Amino acid sequence: MPEEQEKEEKMSEEFEPRIVAFLCNWCSYAGADVAGSSKLEMPPTVTPVKVMCSSRVDPVMVITAFLRGADGVLIAGCHPGDCHYDKGNYYARRRFAVLREIFDTLALEGERVRLSWVSASEGPRYAEVVREFSAKIKQLGPNPVKHKT
Amino acid sequence: MTKKQQKAKEQVLVIGAGMAGIEASLTLAAADKKVYLVEKEPLFGGKVIKFEEVFANMECSTCMAAPKQQEVLQNDKIELLTLGKVKEVQGEAGNFVVKIEKKARYVSLEECIGCNECFEPCPVSLPNEFEENLGERKAIYIPCPGALPNIPSIDTENCVRFTKGENCQLCKEACMFEAIDFDQKDEEVELNVGAIIVATGFDLMDPEQISDCGYNGKANVYTALEMERLYASNGPTEGKITLRNGKEPTSAAMIHCIGREKAGYCSGVCCMYSFKFIHYLKDKLPEITLYDFYSDLCMPGKSYQPFYEHLKDKTESVRFQDLKIAHQNGKVRIKYKSLADQDKTLDVDMVILAPAIMPAKGASELAGVLGVEQDENGFFGFQSSDRSPEESGRDGIYLAGCVLGPEDIGKAIAQADAAAGKVIALLG
Amino acid sequence: MDRKIGVYVCECGPNIADALDIDRVIEAVSGLENVAVVERYKLLCSPGGKKYLAEQIKEHGLTHLVVGACSPKQHEATFMGVCEEGRMNPFLMQMANLREQIAWITPDKEKATERAIRHMKAAVRRVRYHAPLEQKEIECNADVLVIGGGIAGMSAALLLSSPDRKVFLVEKNTELGGMVSRCEKLFPDMARGSEITESRVKSLKEDENIEVLTGTVVENVLGFFGNFVVTVREKESEPQEFKVGAVVVATGADLFDPSALAEYGYGKIKNVVTAPELEEMNLKGNITLENGNEPKSVGIIHCVGRKEKGYCSEVCCRVGMKISRYLKEKIPAVSITQFYQDLCVPGSGAQAFYEKTRNTGVEFVCTEAVKLSGSVEKIKIDHDGKIDTVDMVVLLPAIEPAKDTSEISEMLGVEKGKGGFLTEEHEKIGPVTTTVEGVCLAGTVSGPKTVRDAVSQSEAVAGKILSSLVPGRKLETEARTSKISESLCTGCRTCLTVCCYSAIEYDESRGVCVVNEVLCKGCGNCAAACPSGAATHQQFTPTQIYREVIEILR
Repeated sequence: MPEEQEKEEKMSEEFEPRIVAFLCNWCSYAGADVAGSSKLEMPPTVTPVKVMCSSRVDPVMVITAFLRGADGVLIAGCHPGDCHYDKGNYYARRRFAVLREIFDTLALEGERVRLSWVSASEGPRYAEVVREFSAKIKQLGPNPVKHKT
Repeated sequence: MTKKQQKAKEQVLVIGAGMAGIEASLTLAAADKKVYLVEKEPLFGGKVIKFEEVFANMECSTCMAAPKQQEVLQNDKIELLTLGKVKEVQGEAGNFVVKIEKKARYVSLEECIGCNECFEPCPVSLPNEFEENLGERKAIYIPCPGALPNIPSIDTENCVRFTKGENCQLCKEACMFEAIDFDQKDEEVELNVGAIIVATGFDLMDPEQISDCGYNGKANVYTALEMERLYASNGPTEGKITLRNGKEPTSAAMIHCIGREKAGYCSGVCCMYSFKFIHYLKDKLPEITLYDFYSDLCMPGKSYQPFYEHLKDKTESVRFQDLKIAHQNGKVRIKYKSLADQDKTLDVDMVILAPAIMPAKGASELAGVLGVEQDENGFFGFQSSDRSPEESGRDGIYLAGCVLGPEDIGKAIAQADAAAGKVIALLG
Repeated sequence: MDRKIGVYVCECGPNIADALDIDRVIEAVSGLENVAVVERYKLLCSPGGKKYLAEQIKEHGLTHLVVGACSPKQHEATFMGVCEEGRMNPFLMQMANLREQIAWITPDKEKATERAIRHMKAAVRRVRYHAPLEQKEIECNADVLVIGGGIAGMSAALLLSSPDRKVFLVEKNTELGGMVSRCEKLFPDMARGSEITESRVKSLKEDENIEVLTGTVVENVLGFFGNFVVTVREKESEPQEFKVGAVVVATGADLFDPSALAEYGYGKIKNVVTAPELEEMNLKGNITLENGNEPKSVGIIHCVGRKEKGYCSEVCCRVGMKISRYLKEKIPAVSITQFYQDLCVPGSGAQAFYEKTRNTGVEFVCTEAVKLSGSVEKIKIDHDGKIDTVDMVVLLPAIEPAKDTSEISEMLGVEKGKGGFLTEEHEKIGPVTTTVEGVCLAGTVSGPKTVRDAVSQSEAVAGKILSSLVPGRKLETEARTSKISESLCTGCRTCLTVCCYSAIEYDESRGVCVVNEVLCKGCGNCAAACPSGAATHQQFTPTQIYREVIEILR
């Protein structure tokens, strides 16, 4: 048993998560930029994909990302009430809730998808979210449903 | 009409690039007017960019302001003239000749990419006014992270090249883009415009002018703007709220109506932002005990009282008659008279003052230059029911925002669009 | 047509050049399909850099452009401009953020280079699927409909009027003037209400560009910004139809009915009147009790209905002070006491108005709750246990949404929000516009406010319309709008329900949904909601996003 645990821990150390982050143009992408211009160090695990609004992200997009090898998917939008497009982020929240519910049927841990609110000035918050989420994914290990391509 | 007069009608001057000035400029540009947007500071955005959040929806202030600022920077019809002050206005509606004194920035707007490498080597450090003196800056500086334009300026009142004639070139040597140019000169810019919109905003009453408010810049008594910078995620403490000695406060009191008696009017927004501070403080320090001292709760409109109702359980609301603040054993001591005429005392760790809102520094000088009226409180224009608030008394010159009286952002934006509407109707 | 993708990596001085191995990035990208040229450059956003890029586009006959540099939020607009210089459609360009999202946060040069390669490849794979997009131009009508002939409606109409723009001012009552014409005076300068409205009515009647329709209601408003069709009807006559480009809603508000609250005895106790009733008496020239005598003592009660409504109506305190001025003018010996919860006197001059009122001998009493009871010919006011006895009581009721608010809301598609009032687009930065483009709000229809602020809003509405609906100028649409494929659409209307801008319409005849490009703001919500994939968000299509994501994860 201890040997297996050791092996797992070693794998966990070498495993570098691949995380796709869907960031909205107005708030979270800008917040990520501020984190960058403030030179806040973050693990190199997250690749941002810019969308105009977090409401653009549909569940199929997220699942495709996992099928193609993402270990984690982060969706970030404006804080509730602040959405540039009035209520888009509320729809994102609902879609995310649905997604989390069906994750069990997909043999994926629900914690592999995260929805966060990051405003345009919250550089440190974005960095914190990235650090926390990367650590979580690292702990969960590599994506079990990745297509072998 | 001469060609020059015809051209003047296509051009408008907006003085002050805070939220009201920005809105007026964007509306005028949409109507195909050429806008000269003059701002005295090296950055633009006014007071709103100092806030982290705005009441009552607690929206992120930057998220609200930044897209508008970007629109201004990317709009060909708007020319932003930072470090500019209006010195002279001649002429009349449809044809004003304006002289602007534009201070040199000493950094090229075209070459600089905003990498910030020039700050570190600068030998001069001083308190940063943007951060309400809670943080420091260098003589070559950007007031805060995220400032727009993202280009530093040299403060000639503190840079040793200007104050002592020393040949310090440390910032220039650190710049990879040859963007620093000590030979830049202050300019006088002459503009020919058809109309002028004044949106110069406000400043808070200096608390040191208010007797018994306990403010000395060193104790744990803060002004509203200092509180904003403490809570701001891009502020001097990155949002950490501590006392001057670094410890976290266990109790805090918001004192509304400070300076109201001296000013002679109610500033309208302080109750609301004091409630906002309840939200700020509870967010960072959930265990903190809070008090709100007020003479009247001013929360007009359909959404302000609901905001208070939602927050009032998190604070003790105390109505006072007279109030004095002093310091006692490291605490802040509030001595007040309740409505029932009882004398009471309360000791807290931290006090946040809501000083009266006054016309911005230099307002009277500007009123003289523009030839416009000021009311008995120094605000521009007229407090009358049969004139639009945007009227200044001089044809072709309109007002928007706190220059005409203390008010919230919604009113300022409406006035900005109204002033723009009047300009468009005037100039055709 | 063969795709020729030009890929350019900006060094951004040392910012990118020192943080990652640009040559390796260039090498990795060079082999990709359709890549015609890969170069590096010191500073692409400089005047020299922009010129270089534009020339490169022309020289190589590039069809698509990828720029690896700083954040698109910094320079996307810049490089789109460069595409236009190079005669390339600006939407055939994709940026990769190598600076803020890689160079500045990845101290390990090897890791940074790896990430940069991944980002650049993703951008190249994505841009291949970009389609040229155009901003469309649509004809529009610059005329305006103003609903409501009170101070706000009249002010808006007057500022909007011009020889090349017609304004229709529709008022349901037979007279213009609204609430202001029913007040003898207005605070704080006690200017005459009738003068204020009469001068505007005169200007309106003399203005050839404004058509005033009194005794007329708006029955329907169809269409969208720049292209509304309005139906109005005057009493029993035939409906009239006309076209406008924008609609201003200035229909005012109503007052809370105090008879709902037993503690005020309104309608039960004699000589308890509301502020408008006092105004009416005052305009007729005699403020008297029911028995015809003048009151010797008056109590003015603020905050009537405040608790029930949950908000403060802003103007009542000052209306109460104004009323006490009327009383003192007409009945100099009258004693007046005002009972309030919080004194609401914001702004320069309001407190002075209060102090001046107090100096005329009016007493102000702060009290939580007030209960009235009738006693012979007098009224007892119980306030926090103390009793004051007066001849007459004036109640200051809360301002509440007009009774026809729901109808207007439905007719125009503007939602009701806080307090049940019509809701503005944004409390701070959009106080007069709504999420229905072309429909604006002015005055108390969107919430309680002073006459001064109502006028401000009506002129703001005029400013917005004057600058966006210019006679002879076409409307430009957003280029990155959503599109719905007719063949794939099943007519489920899910997209319609999620659109926050009422930009999607259901076409009954074809059984499909259609996006109105004038109103679409390009958020992509409908694309995410569509179950059949019929709705796509241009520049953010599934193909484009998937190509980007798949390459990132390869």
